[in-house]
Amino acid sequence: MRTHCESSTPAPRPGLSRRSLLRIGAPAIGLTLADLLQAESRAAADLGTSRQKSSRKSIIVFWTDGGLSQQDTYDPKPDAPAEYRGSFRPIATQVPGITVSEGIPHQSRIMKHLAIVRSVHHDNGIHAPSSHWMQTGYFGPTLARNAPQKPSFGSVISRTLGTRQPPMPAYVTIPKSEAFGYQGAVYLGKAHNPFEVGGDPNAAGFGVSNLSLPNGLSYESVNARRELLKRFDTLRRDIDESGAMEGLDVFKAQAMEMVAGDRMRQAFDIGAEDPRLRDRYGRHRYGQSALLARRLIEAGARCVNINTGNWDHHNEIDRGLEQHLPPLDRAIGALIEDLADRGMLEDVLVYCVGEFGRTPRINGDAGRDHWADSFSVMLAGGGVRGGTVIGASEKWGGSVFERPVSPLDLLATVYELLGIPLDTHYEDSSGRPTAITTGAPIRELIA
Amino acid sequence: MKRAFLPAAGNSDEAYRIDTIRIALRMVSAHRLKFMKIVATIVAIFMHGSISQNVHAENGERGGESIRFGTDIVPILTRLGCNGGGCHGKASGQNGFMLSLLGFEPEFDYQTLVHEDRGRRIFPADPDRSLILLKATGRVPHGGGRLIDSSSDDYRVLRNWIAQGALPPAADDPRIERIEIAPAEAILERNREFALKVTAFFSDGSSRDVTEQAVYQTNEPAVGSADSEGKVKTANRPGLFAVMARFGDKVATFRGAVPFVTDPQRKARVDSELARLEKDAQASLVDRFLFRQWRRLAVIPSPPADDAAFLRRASIDICGTLPTPEETATFLADDRPDKRAALVDRLLERPEYAEYFAVKWADILRNRGSGYSTSRQRPGTTLFAGWIRDSLAENKPYDRFVTEILTATGSQTENPPTVWYRSVRKSSDYVESVAQAFLGVRIQCAQCHHHPSESWSQSDYYGLAAVFGRIGRKGGFADAEVPTDETIFLADSGQVRHPRTGEIEPPRALGSGPFRLSAGDDPRGRLAEWMSDPTNPFFARTMVNRMWAHFLGRGLIHPVDDARSTNPPTDPELLDALANDFATHGYDVKRLVRMITTSMAYGVSSEPVDGNRGDTQTFARFYPRRLSAEVLLDGLSQVLGVPTPFPGLPPGTRAIQLPDENVAAPFLDIFGRPARQTACECERVDAPSLNQALELINSSEIQRKLSAPEGFAARLAAESKSSKETAALAFVRVLGRPPSPDESKAAVAFLESEPDRVEASRSLLWSLLATAEFLFNH
Repeated sequence: MRTHCESSTPAPRPGLSRRSLLRIGAPAIGLTLADLLQAESRAAADLGTSRQKSSRKSIIVFWTDGGLSQQDTYDPKPDAPAEYRGSFRPIATQVPGITVSEGIPHQSRIMKHLAIVRSVHHDNGIHAPSSHWMQTGYFGPTLARNAPQKPSFGSVISRTLGTRQPPMPAYVTIPKSEAFGYQGAVYLGKAHNPFEVGGDPNAAGFGVSNLSLPNGLSYESVNARRELLKRFDTLRRDIDESGAMEGLDVFKAQAMEMVAGDRMRQAFDIGAEDPRLRDRYGRHRYGQSALLARRLIEAGARCVNINTGNWDHHNEIDRGLEQHLPPLDRAIGALIEDLADRGMLEDVLVYCVGEFGRTPRINGDAGRDHWADSFSVMLAGGGVRGGTVIGASEKWGGSVFERPVSPLDLLATVYELLGIPLDTHYEDSSGRPTAITTGAPIRELIA
Repeated sequence: MKRAFLPAAGNSDEAYRIDTIRIALRMVSAHRLKFMKIVATIVAIFMHGSISQNVHAENGERGGESIRFGTDIVPILTRLGCNGGGCHGKASGQNGFMLSLLGFEPEFDYQTLVHEDRGRRIFPADPDRSLILLKATGRVPHGGGRLIDSSSDDYRVLRNWIAQGALPPAADDPRIERIEIAPAEAILERNREFALKVTAFFSDGSSRDVTEQAVYQTNEPAVGSADSEGKVKTANRPGLFAVMARFGDKVATFRGAVPFVTDPQRKARVDSELARLEKDAQASLVDRFLFRQWRRLAVIPSPPADDAAFLRRASIDICGTLPTPEETATFLADDRPDKRAALVDRLLERPEYAEYFAVKWADILRNRGSGYSTSRQRPGTTLFAGWIRDSLAENKPYDRFVTEILTATGSQTENPPTVWYRSVRKSSDYVESVAQAFLGVRIQCAQCHHHPSESWSQSDYYGLAAVFGRIGRKGGFADAEVPTDETIFLADSGQVRHPRTGEIEPPRALGSGPFRLSAGDDPRGRLAEWMSDPTNPFFARTMVNRMWAHFLGRGLIHPVDDARSTNPPTDPELLDALANDFATHGYDVKRLVRMITTSMAYGVSSEPVDGNRGDTQTFARFYPRRLSAEVLLDGLSQVLGVPTPFPGLPPGTRAIQLPDENVAAPFLDIFGRPARQTACECERVDAPSLNQALELINSSEIQRKLSAPEGFAARLAAESKSSKETAALAFVRVLGRPPSPDESKAAVAFLESEPDRVEASRSLLWSLLATAEFLFNH
């Protein structure tokens, strides 16, 4: 079931929402997802928008929920006083001249693939609004734990590029979306919310239910039912402004395709991997999540987000890092090597990012607090120029020393690498066309 | 302590220095600052004449009057978010610095700002080097980032306050009595901007413009919003929105309306169309208010829904049950003009009405099975579920229903509503459940601090807690999460203290004075009396709003249990009229259901027309929603003629008859059944998900229902009917309407092309069940 998606993807459609497409008269159900996407790009062409060149690219995100310490990973400060530099010592990497913390030995050995950005900053130090900022590019609500205002980058990717290979969902979170609810689609439509895997891929008996056909149901029947549904599902879709009907339509189309083929079920069958490779990724939630992410991307998913942490180590950061950092480092290292071995690294962007970093100075509880004035993210593969360090924090890490990078710049970089035009706009809930980013891509790290 | 005034600009530095020293010395006498710091201050003042110079130059605030902590400094901390719940305002503070949430305790904030951390936060000797200013301007690393500029007004006020000696709040400082927002209401066009003005009124009779110091929040940003300077902007979408302004502990609300049509000519056409419709409609009480709102927003209602749609809608919303083909045939053939009202009356007398609403009330009343589902414990849950159902079936007046729950004493067998006290068993449970379930108020915030967007204080919270201070429990057994089968009684004593002041809070209701009680009186009885007084501002309104939301898909206050002065109803007059009717007609729930379901809003089509496209607030069209988990599962069982087996319950039990939420049924969980952890209806989730789609399309449960030999699919295949008759039977059974000629043709073609008759029948039924028309109430 190779589809047109390999050769063309729907153009971003300024002014044409999925909803307005449905109003034009194509109830999504009964259509396959491929039909739907085709109809969308046809409609886009009808409106005179240019068809976008295909993108083979996809992305795997390691979201470091709570805020990963940059000093103890990508941006060590060995010359700072003891209360700043912490317990980790610097180590040389594969690339001469680049030093990272000894906390990430696996990544240090594949530095030629990595680009480290050491000068990311924004202006908030609270988890929820900062998560919103790094997920969506925009400052989030502070007064209360408010609803998200903008779509996450995963949802933008899902909406703009769609899945690479139906029926795989475009956007998946492992094991679930993060707690603040800022990894969702908001006004891009509920269909672009992530599919939550729901379980720990390292657990015995891990699986996703309802992916295999129940007894007595044949593929022929599924296809017949789908055709019939297409004829009968004619209720006007513009009666529902909530997005629930439209969202369920897309999920139904997707579910039909999933069960009609083996692709989805096989992708989730992590037990089919060579046990030695599973060991290389690490028998830990992070390692097996990374391996599952690779399988989902191989099967056709576009964006897989692995939620890690919590990294909010206000107390005894060394103990927290001892527990979380080795499996994360191993997972990232093994994933990048595995992607390179399979010839996938050029097409798969790996991105390690969280809402902020941690204070340069160790506090009275031997922990580090929230720090957004200057922190680090890592990108690899997907067209990233490896062996690169972008920007710098000042000598003890308190602020950006050179080449400041904003959350919107990071989104622009990710979109650019994935082949998403930076002038893509979508209508927000008030009908205002809103840019997916107004930042500038970091050209120095694009190969 | 007397307030000191800075000398007016132009006085000598000498005068300022002397004044400052005087202030400093006064502080010494008051033991407010540590001695060393005073010395440092005095020394610094003599060493750096330039400091006072700066003060002079920047002494721009309100004619040289000194700056007050409570009314000048705290609002800045609030506005900048310093004392927000995500930062220094959270219970543990942030990075060793803790403020009272949103500044509701200025004395506490003063202590931490001025006295803690070796006094480094405030440095009167050199105000610009005060840690709070260094942090806020980002000159030293600050986890909260750079919040202000040293040239800003906020900076100047903070700095001058410090320079003036960081005066503490004093008992005779004026308090903020109220704030006003102007205008309070406005009708606005799309894509417009205008400035709000917020004025604070103080206890000393003074007032001032605090537009720039207030904090703003909006409830419908898609329609209109306000920026941090109080400038309102409407977006490109009609509707209603509200902007809340907060200054100190006071709030005020602006209500904006953006009409669908503003052009005078088109507006005149809309008005005459509405007048015509209203005349034709023989508008009821509810309709008259709907028309008022439609005129206000220049919106045209959709035409009436057809009879089949109305029958399905009313059957689902009143009885949680799809109409049978026989009911459909009878209703469509009925040509009496009042058949819709007669249908509502019939539905209200069916047992399913009580069963369906019993599920809703069991959610709100937290009749949980989880933790109580052993064979010894389930009886209590079942008894309470039965009591709720019977109360609804006999149309027990709503005030009595609530009173019997609140004042319940005895054992579960003699008095089942005592089971409410099983899940609701702590001080905070009593207060929050009562406030949310019966008063429509989310008061949780006031447990620990003044409510951030309402007037509720901790005293209100603990006064209500005190009503339940004498709940006594005896007997029972505890082989699960918590005891069960306890006997509830009124104990002789039981006091509740305010956690901060330590004072005993007398039992009282929200916003009322202390109850006058004699020794034998149960304070809960007084609370129930207070509630059922027809003038009670919360009780009837909460119930009518809850029911309105049930039938119309959205409350007049939305969400239903979040009534606040800062979350105003979209149509306050309609809400009041319904509440008044409810309270003055004996809290008759069935009467209320009749009023709502026979209104125009409930009878209109869900299909938008040009005059109401995009409407989500005025009920000019019916807002569709997905069938709830239980109704959907029962609907599948009914249509396919195969009941769902539930473990431990007799065969044929329906999902709306389940005694609790803990009966294992994955289908119900996937479709959003709540866990009954809170009294909030928001626990029930209706968002679509891929897992729901997979369940519909590929679950063994649906396939089992389609394949059962005794099921409808097999029976339909076995009957010797023509393909056309078979198609018609399937449509009426699943969708409650006959097929259109095109649909009939397509179904016939499919049935005749498929060699396996049973499989053909299954596929036809499935394809109808998976349509939005089946899955949604529309």
